[in-house]
Amino acid sequence: MITIDKLCYHSKLRYENAGEKFAFAIITLIICVMSRSIAVAGIVLLTTGILTVFKGGIPVSRYLHFLMLPLTFLILSTLAIVFNVKDAPLDLFAVSIGDWYLTASKEALFYALQLIATALSAVSCLYFLSFTTPMTDILEVLRKLHCPKLLIELMLLIYRFIFLLLTIASAISTSQDSRLGNKDYKTSLKSFAALGSVLMIRAVSRSNKLYDAMESRCYDGTLHVLSETQPPKKPVIIGIALFDILLLIFAVWRRFFS
Amino acid sequence: MSKKQRNIIALTSAMALTFGLASNVGAMHIMEGYLPGGYCIGWGILCLPFLAAGFMSINKKLKEHRNLITLLAMSGAFVFVISSLKIPSVTGSCSHMTGTGLGAILFGPSAVSILGLIVLVFQAILLAHGGLTTIGANTFSMAIAGPFVSYGIWVICKKANINKKVAVFLAATLGDLFTYCVTAVQMAMAHHADTTIGAAMGKFLLVFAPTQVPLAIIEGIITVLIVMGLETYAKPELRSIGFLKEAK
Repeated sequence: MITIDKLCYHSKLRYENAGEKFAFAIITLIICVMSRSIAVAGIVLLTTGILTVFKGGIPVSRYLHFLMLPLTFLILSTLAIVFNVKDAPLDLFAVSIGDWYLTASKEALFYALQLIATALSAVSCLYFLSFTTPMTDILEVLRKLHCPKLLIELMLLIYRFIFLLLTIASAISTSQDSRLGNKDYKTSLKSFAALGSVLMIRAVSRSNKLYDAMESRCYDGTLHVLSETQPPKKPVIIGIALFDILLLIFAVWRRFFS
Repeated sequence: MSKKQRNIIALTSAMALTFGLASNVGAMHIMEGYLPGGYCIGWGILCLPFLAAGFMSINKKLKEHRNLITLLAMSGAFVFVISSLKIPSVTGSCSHMTGTGLGAILFGPSAVSILGLIVLVFQAILLAHGGLTTIGANTFSMAIAGPFVSYGIWVICKKANINKKVAVFLAATLGDLFTYCVTAVQMAMAHHADTTIGAAMGKFLLVFAPTQVPLAIIEGIITVLIVMGLETYAKPELRSIGFLKEAK
C-alpha cells in the first residue's frame, strides 16, 4: 500500500545497524544542505544513489521514479525564482510585454540550478534512510536519542493505525467503485466525503476496542515491543565517519577557498 | 514569425508542459533540502513553543484519561490517511487533501500541532512529501498556522451563529489558503535572488496559485461533506473526540 515501506523491508541493507544508517543519512543531509555547492551535491547524490540501488537492491526504475516525485514543486518554484517581471531587461533574456519585460538574470539561473542540485541530493539522503530502514527501527533510534516517550509511543501507534485505516479505506473505495460511486465528478466528491466520514467512525470504534484489548493485557502507559538490534560494525562506522569528514572538509574548501 | 513571437510560443508551451507534468498535486510541502540551514533551524525554533504547549496539554489530558491515547493515535493516522488518498479533481491530475482544516475542527489546534508534526515526519519518510530538514518550516505552516486560522474562523463563525456548512467551508478553505501564503512567505524569505522579498513572495504565490487555489476550494467542499456526514451518523463518536478539544 505504501510503496516505500514495502520496498524498505526488502532492502538488503535492512539488517544493518539502524543507528549507522540514521547517522549517515542525517549527517550527510546536514552537510549537503549547509554547503549548497553543486560539487558536494553531485558526490552525495552519487554515493547515496549507489548505496540505495546497488547495496540496497532497490530497482533502478523505482528509484528514479521516486526521485522524480518532487518534480512539480521543483519546476514551479524554479520558475518563480528564475523569471522576473521588471521594467528593465536583465542579462539572460527578456520578452517584452507592453512596457514590462518577462526577464531573467544569469545569476538567478545559476542560483536556481544550485538549488535544484542541493534539493535532489538532499532528497537522495532522505531516500537512503527511508529505503533501507523500516519505521520501527527509526523509532528505536529516536528512543535511544531520548525523544520524549509520549511522542515515540504515539508514533508507534500511529504507524500501526495507518495500515489499519488504509485497509479499511481501500475496501470502501473498491466497493464504491463497483457500485458506480465514481461515475461523474459530483458522485465522486460525494463518495470521497462518505469514505472520509465512515473512516472516522470506524477509526473511533477501532480505537476503543484496541484500548480494551491493551487494557486486558495489562497496559500501564508504556508499550513494550521486542526490538531486534544488530550490533554496529566497526568498519562501517569508520567508513561513515571517514566519508562524512572528507565531505565536510571538501564542502568547507569549496565554500571558502575556491 | 518574429523572434519575439517564437519566444512567446516557446514560453507558453513550456508552461503548458509544466502544468501537464504537474500530475501529483499535493499540499505545498517544502521539499527536502530546499531551505538554507539557517532557515531550517529558525522555523524549527519558532515551532517549539507551540509544540511544547501542545505536548503539555496532551500529556495532562492523558494522565487523567489514559484511554485517550488510542483515540489520539487514531486521529493522527486518520489525518495521514485522508491526506494520502487521491481526491477527485477536475483536471484529472491526482491531488491530495491537506486535512489540516478537518483536523483543527475535529480535534482542536493544540492536539493538531503535535499530531501534525508526527504526520509530517511520516509523510517525509513514507511518502517523500516534504523533508526532514524542512520539517520546522512545514510544521509551522501546516500544523500550526493553518490549523490555528481554521480553528479561529470556526469558533468565530459558531459564536456569530453563521450557518454551520458555511462555517466549515470557510474554516477549511481559508486555513488552506493561509497555509499556502505562509509557505510562499517562507520560500520568499529564503530565496529572493534578484528581487525584494515582497516581489519574490508575489512570484511564489502566482506560480503555485493554479494548483493551490482549486485545491483549497475542493478541500473546503469535501470537509463540509465529511463533517455533515459525521454530524448525521456519528454523534457519540464526535462527543468522544470532543474530549481532545477540551485539552487547551
